Amino acid sequence: MRFKDQLQFVRQNMKKNKSRLFMTVLATAMGCAFLTVLASVGFGLQQSIVDRMVGDRLVTSISVYGKEQQDGVNRQLTKENLDFLRSIEHVKSVTYKQFIPQPFEYSSDGQALPSENMQVLDFAEESKAGLKLAAGALPRQASEVLVGYNFGQSYEDSEMPDQAAVEAWVGKTLQFDVLQYVGGKQERTAVSVTISGVKAAPAKEWQLDRTVYAPVELRDQLEQIAGTRLAEMRRPATGDQEAYEPPGLDTPLYYTEVAVIADKVQQVKKIAEQLREQGYYNYSIADELSQMNVMFTIMQIGLVFVGAIAVLIASIGIYNTMTMAVTERAQDIGIMKAIGAHPKVIRRIFLLESAMIGVVGAAVGTLVAYVLSMAVNWGLPVLIKTFMEQQVPEGFRFSVIPLYLTVISCTISLGVALLSGARPAARATRVDVLRALRRDI
Amino acid sequence: MIQMKQVSHQFHIGKKGRERIVPVLHHIDLTINKGEIVAIVGRSGSGKSTLLNLMSGYIRPSEGEIEIRGKSVTNMSEGEWADFRLEQYGFMFQSFQLIPSMTAYQNIELPLVLKGVEPHRRKQQVQEMLRRVDLEEYASHYPGELSGGQQQRVSVARALVLDPPIVLADEPTGSLDSENELQLLGLIHELNRERGTTFVIITHDQQVASIANRTVTLADGRLKPGGMSRKEQGGIIYEV
Repeated sequence: MRFKDQLQFVRQNMKKNKSRLFMTVLATAMGCAFLTVLASVGFGLQQSIVDRMVGDRLVTSISVYGKEQQDGVNRQLTKENLDFLRSIEHVKSVTYKQFIPQPFEYSSDGQALPSENMQVLDFAEESKAGLKLAAGALPRQASEVLVGYNFGQSYEDSEMPDQAAVEAWVGKTLQFDVLQYVGGKQERTAVSVTISGVKAAPAKEWQLDRTVYAPVELRDQLEQIAGTRLAEMRRPATGDQEAYEPPGLDTPLYYTEVAVIADKVQQVKKIAEQLREQGYYNYSIADELSQMNVMFTIMQIGLVFVGAIAVLIASIGIYNTMTMAVTERAQDIGIMKAIGAHPKVIRRIFLLESAMIGVVGAAVGTLVAYVLSMAVNWGLPVLIKTFMEQQVPEGFRFSVIPLYLTVISCTISLGVALLSGARPAARATRVDVLRALRRDI
Repeated sequence: MIQMKQVSHQFHIGKKGRERIVPVLHHIDLTINKGEIVAIVGRSGSGKSTLLNLMSGYIRPSEGEIEIRGKSVTNMSEGEWADFRLEQYGFMFQSFQLIPSMTAYQNIELPLVLKGVEPHRRKQQVQEMLRRVDLEEYASHYPGELSGGQQQRVSVARALVLDPPIVLADEPTGSLDSENELQLLGLIHELNRERGTTFVIITHDQQVASIANRTVTLADGRLKPGGMSRKEQGGIIYEV
């Protein structure tokens, strides 16, 4: 019997009891939808929480704290170390931060601004690492600086500035004095720079960023003015304190808060191991993230298992429908067998029927699951805002249905449908011809 | 064509352990030749239907050997029997045994569908059979919308659509009035003459037995010696 004819046969049979068929498909669809939506919550929470906790950059970032020396003494990182780090395969960029230990007092347009520290960034590397700006552009020369999103805000003010206020900083001139003691006497050198851009708001909402970010060229200029590494101030001797002479320009420059950024998350572990082998102390969040992902995977498996119970319940409906179908069609089966229908053909027809219930149920269930998922993602934030007066973070998704979840749900639904139809199908092949034909023997 | 050697059959009645054995057929030796119309007659309970069921493969003999067209069928599996039936047999039943949810056309088409014949060839063959049994106008009718005679003609068309070498008929006129009975017997006679189809007909109707080349009588599960030829029966000879 041709497959097309078998399908035609099944369609004809399915039309015989439309209401029962509808209820069975509905039960299967509900089971499949329940399974998909339940598991999608696990996927949604994982995606949203992980994304929330760690930005793209943090996931691929490896913090390098220093390098172990042969005599066991920790050593700060030098330019040579940074060059080595940049030479490692799959390293996208190597960033660092250097703190300028000067009590800068900034002013702009003759107006004094709150005192804030200055950090040196390698903007070429930061750009490769994906540094985001809220306004303007990165500094390109010694006379330009970048400022934090909350620059100029007083310490009492913790409100986030609006975009217009942020953009207003771009192009403004910033004045500050470099202090240094020369022969026990304090000298001030005025420096004037232009704000080329404003850094994007900090990822964490509670963080305020008032920092001034200086390019490497400005650092060099400040060092020349102060005559010390990172323009550190000398301290003259006072009554009970000895004078302090900071490292001079002939000493090596050290780099702090060094971060190695991998080009792919998958490479993080490999690079970290390579660094460890070379004696670099490092830490990456990817290790902890993998642990967290394991927890989420366990949760997802649990949810799929609970959802699968719903599909199993639906399978009772399929089993019942198919058993009824076999009972009702016993005479038709008997006639077909009497004429010469092979038992395999009979079995295949009934298995096809339950498979079709599974396929239609899974298709409808998947569609419903997507609609529900969208409704949950749209509706829950509104409900939370309305009744709990809480704001759900932007982009937070409660339910996410990846393609493989759809595949898993459909496979489970179809598999369960086939399993539930297997016994009635086997029963159909055992229909006694003579009894079905109601003949006297 | 069909050869039964020392075939016996008994039924086991009752629950296991307390079952009762009821012998139905005893050491049947029967040969049916190609192109013959053989009527199997006998009183109720004589074992006629059991004999036909054994030939059909619906039941297996308790003893003895059955050969059909030179092939031993005694120990064939259910699947092998299904294929064999589709290839070798056409069936006519007393109560027509049409599938109620299928039209006359679909009922006739069923053996072709089961055999996997291509749709365009199926259409040709079914239409030819519908013409043959004079039911072209009723092709789209369901069995419930047809008279007894029309239903039996559909059943005949279904039995013959694959042009089987053997047709097994169990009381084919049992549910028909005399006019339809005559029509059906005429059709059987015609097909036998034209195609050389072998007919094995179970009946208790003398008129049906009269078209047979040979009549085999069963009594208490045993063959009565010496089957009669048509001339000996002095029955009607149908000319179509």
